[in-house]
Amino acid sequence: MSARPEFTLHDLLYNSVARDPEKTAVVDGDAHYTYEDLERESSALGAALVDSGVKRGDRVGVLVEKSWEAIVAMLAASRIGAAYVNVNPLFKAPQVEYLAQDCDIRVMIGDSQKLEELGPRTLQTAFHRGAKPEGQAAASYVDVAEAMKGDPLTQDSKVSESDLGTILYTSGSTGMPKGVATSQRNLVVGAQIVTTYLKNTPEDRILSALPLNFDAGMSQFTTSLRAGATLYLLRSRLPGDLLKALRRHEITGVTGVPPLWALLIRGSKSLRENPLTHLRYLANTGGRIPQANLDELRNLLEPSGTKIFLMYGLTEAFRSTYLAPDEVWRSSPEQGNCIGKAIPNTDIMVITREGKEATPGEPGELVHRGPTVAMGYWGNEKATRRAYRPNPLAPPELLDIERVVYSGDTVKRDEEGYLYFLGREDAMIKNQGYRLSPEEVENLLLGSGLVHEACAFGVENPAVGQDVVAAISLRNGAEEGALDRVREHVIKNGPPYMVPREILIRDELPKTGSGKIDRKGISSAYSNG
Amino acid sequence: MVSSNTDARAAIRGWLQENVTGGRDVPNDEPLIDNGVMTSLQTVELVVFLEDSFGIVVEDEEFDEENFGSVEAIASLVESKAA
Repeated sequence: MSARPEFTLHDLLYNSVARDPEKTAVVDGDAHYTYEDLERESSALGAALVDSGVKRGDRVGVLVEKSWEAIVAMLAASRIGAAYVNVNPLFKAPQVEYLAQDCDIRVMIGDSQKLEELGPRTLQTAFHRGAKPEGQAAASYVDVAEAMKGDPLTQDSKVSESDLGTILYTSGSTGMPKGVATSQRNLVVGAQIVTTYLKNTPEDRILSALPLNFDAGMSQFTTSLRAGATLYLLRSRLPGDLLKALRRHEITGVTGVPPLWALLIRGSKSLRENPLTHLRYLANTGGRIPQANLDELRNLLEPSGTKIFLMYGLTEAFRSTYLAPDEVWRSSPEQGNCIGKAIPNTDIMVITREGKEATPGEPGELVHRGPTVAMGYWGNEKATRRAYRPNPLAPPELLDIERVVYSGDTVKRDEEGYLYFLGREDAMIKNQGYRLSPEEVENLLLGSGLVHEACAFGVENPAVGQDVVAAISLRNGAEEGALDRVREHVIKNGPPYMVPREILIRDELPKTGSGKIDRKGISSAYSNG
Repeated sequence: MVSSNTDARAAIRGWLQENVTGGRDVPNDEPLIDNGVMTSLQTVELVVFLEDSFGIVVEDEEFDEENFGSVEAIASLVESKAA
């Protein structure tokens, strides 16, 4: 049996079906689904999407909580050459409507309750999971459960590795999320790279603990699909559910962000009494684990055989560097916050302000070159030109120079080639594994209609990375109780991680020389009390 | 320490109003996790509050969505421990 070459996400599916159609692909609660089920139902849903007018190159929204349907939807879109857009399930209607408009989503697969919240005619067709939604969010409705039982695709669409595979939305400095356009090739190569260093096999039982709209969360799906392994969907992020899932399913691999490990450590008593002997690896992404937590994780897990991988990356280029288990000690602050070396098939360059390669020890910007460099920000030329630039080290004879990603992170390299994180140039707030743009929080505050000026910033908190704090000045005439109403507005209209932990009221916000709100000044004044 | 006679529901709702919802009162049966009312880390803070206020210990395995899905569920857990 010869495997198909891997060009598209659904090639990964075909290979796993050919290897063992009866193998369990996905476990969602008590329901088990085989690779054959995945093939059949994604074909039927793909056919229904075509019937509703979706063409190659179109975008299909996926607004369902992590579930079997969410997995089938991604493959259904891929098989007809459409790009899937996994929408953060924590988004409220304003963000979902923005996304639908930003990348022209006309067809969306969604949970009925979520679809009901959307404004009239946001969509052409909504595939609903659950009872038919009330209201006029879509012109027509299809029951997704029925669509998944329908007739299969009569033929495969022509899909190539250069096609748009998905758009991953991240927090944007314009005040609204921006979409990273990711090709089929980016998805496939990402899965190849990760399965290579995690050494995934069909025997793996992989826990999906992160949201699927997050590049690192989607990765457990793509790697499991490629390896022909079994993916266990976990929606809860509470420590009791996490522990029970790890035990009950004898999970062999788990990937998460630092706050998840803080929760896992809470179960230290249980972990010591009853170690996770099946857990082959734990991989961290989305920020640095506080050293005390990392030490405790190692103490709790390594004796029973779990290997710990630390990864560094950004959505614009998927993953960039990692520290293998025997090198994890290098990540400590005493060693200088080492982020390791490039992932396989990837070059990481350190580029100075002058555009030259930095010498060992010299600070520069981390620049990523390789096959996971995405296609740019959807519909946003300015941001694309800033982050995606020609390779500064390419030979001049190469006239149409490949593009590389400028990460915005300042790093240095030592004599041995290890990279060290020094800091970031922009004001991105790292909260619970999310990279949150302060402008997006400010935009949400201003949207209350009560706020004159707003300034959001991150305050270090080892448990979550950074807390979101905001300083605001109120509009003239805003009366007593305005602060409560601002908070209510933010909670109602934004996802929970965007809600400031503290909102400070000032008569006026301090400005820089150029008249802009002085975020750095406000932030350091706050930190210094 | 809050006495175990104190209504756990009122204490939990008060904590949520103060720390999570920005003043909005949360009905006893409103889903807290599914609707994204509380983040997982806020749930951890809530557990610390409950342990301090009611003198109980929430075991690792009890700290799940079944027990923390609503004010009602949390209060039942607290009462079963404080009894």
